[in-house]
Amino acid sequence: MLTDSERERYSRQILLFGEEGQERLKSSKVFIAGAGGLGCPAAAYLAAAGVGHLVIADCDSVDRTNLNRQILHYESDIGRPKVVSAREKLLSMNPDIRVEPLAVIISDNNASTLVSGCDLVVDALDTFTDRYALNRAAIRNRIPYIHGAVSGFDGHMATIIPGETACLECMVPEAPPRSVFPVVGTTPGLIGVLQAHEAIKQITGQGEPLTNQLVLWDGKASQFTMIRVERDPDCPACGGDSRASGRRREI
Amino acid sequence: MRVQVKAFAGFREILGPDIALELPEGSTLTGLLEGLGRRSPGIQKALFDDQGTPLKSVIIMVNKKRQTRAEFVSRELHDGDEVAIYPPVAGG
Repeated sequence: MLTDSERERYSRQILLFGEEGQERLKSSKVFIAGAGGLGCPAAAYLAAAGVGHLVIADCDSVDRTNLNRQILHYESDIGRPKVVSAREKLLSMNPDIRVEPLAVIISDNNASTLVSGCDLVVDALDTFTDRYALNRAAIRNRIPYIHGAVSGFDGHMATIIPGETACLECMVPEAPPRSVFPVVGTTPGLIGVLQAHEAIKQITGQGEPLTNQLVLWDGKASQFTMIRVERDPDCPACGGDSRASGRRREI
Repeated sequence: MRVQVKAFAGFREILGPDIALELPEGSTLTGLLEGLGRRSPGIQKALFDDQGTPLKSVIIMVNKKRQTRAEFVSRELHDGDEVAIYPPVAGG
């Protein structure tokens, strides 16, 4: 049940998806992997929208070079763990939610345990190696996964429903080379907000999910391009069908 | 025939955002990529590994649909096709 204060706080969006939709947000647990350029805007909008339980995982501390884009971290946070800094701002924005900080490195060893019990995963990581571990954990646990990535003026995002749609490894089968990426804050701002947007749609059951598509943002041309992608029957992560991913779960 | 090549992200910085290519009839996607590679060592390195195999980490699309490795060789291009090349970004 929503409180009177919550009805007031969310009144403008309750007009869109009703108290039932708002209650779904309130009872949801969303795992946000990364409290950086993508994670900050994604977490901010999910907190503002009233997602009841946010788990934020990041092992880094705030550095001055983060501040051009990681909008939950301030000058005074330099040196503090990002998850602590993010939690503080999110709770100050919305004290009615729960924010669970996890200062961990996400890997094949712990990803499945970390996301277990969550309703949705937001991929706000910065390497594909870690993303592949998270993607496989989401497949194993059958949790919808909202992927995003950025560099410079460019970004992309996609929604993945395990067992139904192309997964991250179907779309990007090999990790691009790792590098220090240049970035202007508006790029992850835009993609992170899109990820939060898709998460809200998914939780409240509104609209159509952005599945089997990769949305490319070309920030220099200020254009979005939609790319159709299909499940790869030989995908090492999801095997292209639900039975294969089920088989892998038993291994 | 004329095929439009649209480049995204890092590949746009090497090739420019948009170029039109004149290709012989019956050209395949592999042929187009190899032709691009011959234009400069930078393009070759952005598209192929040392053995000349197209990099798995680069997404190639024809008319906004991603093509699989198997389709590179078999995919015949037609006049007016749009080939897009996107080396996925990885930052967050």
